Amino acid sequence: MISSRDRVVLDALLPSGGPEGLPGAFEAGFADFEKGFAADAPLPMRLGWRAALFAAYWVSPLLIGRLPPLARLAPEEREDALCAMGKSRSYLIRQVSLLLKAVTSFGYGGTKAVRRVVDYDAH
Amino acid sequence: MRIDGAAGARFDEAFDYVVVGSGAAGATAARSLAATGRSVCVLEEGPAMDPKAFGDDAWGAFKTMFRGMNGQVARGRAFIPVIQGRTLGGSTVINSAIAWRVPDDVLAEWAALGLDDALPAKELHRYWDEIEKDLDAAPTPEEAWGGFNTLMRDGARKLGVEAAPTRRYASGCKATGQCLTGCPSGAKRSMLTTYLPQAEAKGALIVTGAEARRVIIKDGRAVGVEGRLSAPGRPSFRAMARRAVVVAASAIQSPLLLERSGVRSAHLGEHFMAHPGTPLTGLFDAPADLWRGATQGFDSVHHRRDWRVKVETIGLPPEIVFARLPGAGRRWKEKMALAKRTAIFAVQTRAWAEGSVREGPFGADIRYDLTRRDMMQIRRGLRFAAELLFAAGAREVWPGIFGLPERLLPGEEKLLDAGPDDPRCYSWILSHLFGTARMAARPGAGVVGTDFAVHGVPNLVVADSSVFPTNLGVNPQHAIMAVARLCAERLAERA
Repeated sequence: MISSRDRVVLDALLPSGGPEGLPGAFEAGFADFEKGFAADAPLPMRLGWRAALFAAYWVSPLLIGRLPPLARLAPEEREDALCAMGKSRSYLIRQVSLLLKAVTSFGYGGTKAVRRVVDYDAH
Repeated sequence: MRIDGAAGARFDEAFDYVVVGSGAAGATAARSLAATGRSVCVLEEGPAMDPKAFGDDAWGAFKTMFRGMNGQVARGRAFIPVIQGRTLGGSTVINSAIAWRVPDDVLAEWAALGLDDALPAKELHRYWDEIEKDLDAAPTPEEAWGGFNTLMRDGARKLGVEAAPTRRYASGCKATGQCLTGCPSGAKRSMLTTYLPQAEAKGALIVTGAEARRVIIKDGRAVGVEGRLSAPGRPSFRAMARRAVVVAASAIQSPLLLERSGVRSAHLGEHFMAHPGTPLTGLFDAPADLWRGATQGFDSVHHRRDWRVKVETIGLPPEIVFARLPGAGRRWKEKMALAKRTAIFAVQTRAWAEGSVREGPFGADIRYDLTRRDMMQIRRGLRFAAELLFAAGAREVWPGIFGLPERLLPGEEKLLDAGPDDPRCYSWILSHLFGTARMAARPGAGVVGTDFAVHGVPNLVVADSSVFPTNLGVNPQHAIMAVARLCAERLAERA
């Protein structure tokens, strides 16, 4: 179940609009993927995913000198905050960022809507 | 004949040989043992997949065919994903089917360790001849290269360095780039479609959804295997072995099984070796066909001996490529839109590091830390890979290394050589695993003897890469199959 806080993070991570018609996370059907992920993934992976969403919402603003939560920030600042996670001096935060992007990618890059845009034709 | 443990089919039988694991080692051993006319049972923890049902979505494949849904990690200073198949056919179903003979210099190292009689080069080469014929091993044909494989050829030609089409077990490769999610065309000669059906045809029973928990050892002899089926309620099973139990569950699972079975050795689960790898992405002016072409169709061993590195092409589905791209939000999407113009060259090193494998609360507790020498090798390898990419025409290279610029331009590849020494700055994969039940003539020096039997338990043999005394510097499936065949044929001769 995607909460309103998770939605803030995922909308900032993969927003609507942008280059070459790539859809946003929810336009690509990420909510369906997340439901399956929450049901199927092993416990450590699910915990990691929850921790990544938590860190993105509550910790990432601090990395750009802003007060949390992420929802308080303007859209451009949200993007800056999430980018800062991937460049953090803390290995743990970088790993959390990688996990956030990896799980999101699975529910995004595997969809027809995205694959069509990047010229991945079904074999 | 097959039994699906997930469907709750009960079985409790006796066989001449019980083989634990159905990957490159288990399938090869089972086929050789079944050919002797003795009864064989193969136990596989994962499910049997129908090759016709293979899709092209990575998460779907991870869920059904990868251990821990590809969430298994080695812990050290850095967290490193450890990739293993968990399906009938093991990792051969989800790897790139690469066939490299163990290089002569590595065989010479094994001989220097006193293993020339146990692992004789001449016999291994004879097996490799046969396996290559069985599984249609051949250099990747040009029509299956696609853009990204051709780029390595171009880069190597321009630099005047050694690189060649990768020798793979495949015939009629359709260049779908789906080795990782299961070959949909059936061109890949995995154990699922070759040695396992052949073992079955010779009478072997294959049980899937059957997790081996313990080898039953009585009076110093292995008499069977007990475990749990994956059906609801996890019912137990027993497969009794009249002649021998063959453990071929991988360098991670085999030592854990032996430990749970009461085998004691200071070397069990130790000396865990691997080939850690890290990728480098090059951006080109034109599409590089990252999604089309043999998954790993070209490689360079130019610096295998001096720097202990091997550089390989790799084609991956978008969802895996995207995860490593830098940025978030619109910046991340801008990089995604460029992905079709990228090529990925991966660097793997024959690492000096040795780690350990123990039972942990969520499965295997794998400890592994790269050494300073390993980091130096990797940095040199990355520089070499960047030189190949630039020589092939890359306009920029994305290292994905913390502490280095997000993109490097031609002439800046030397920055990779002087990159950070800390493994936490890189993103890694561990895929080739060795040494956790290593072979040694003396019980004090290893877990199994030169006859592949666990010291003190003469009919409990280990047939997988756990017994390897060193890592290889090249992809190990070919080595694993030849060694498993040697092990099985010696075991059959004993009877």
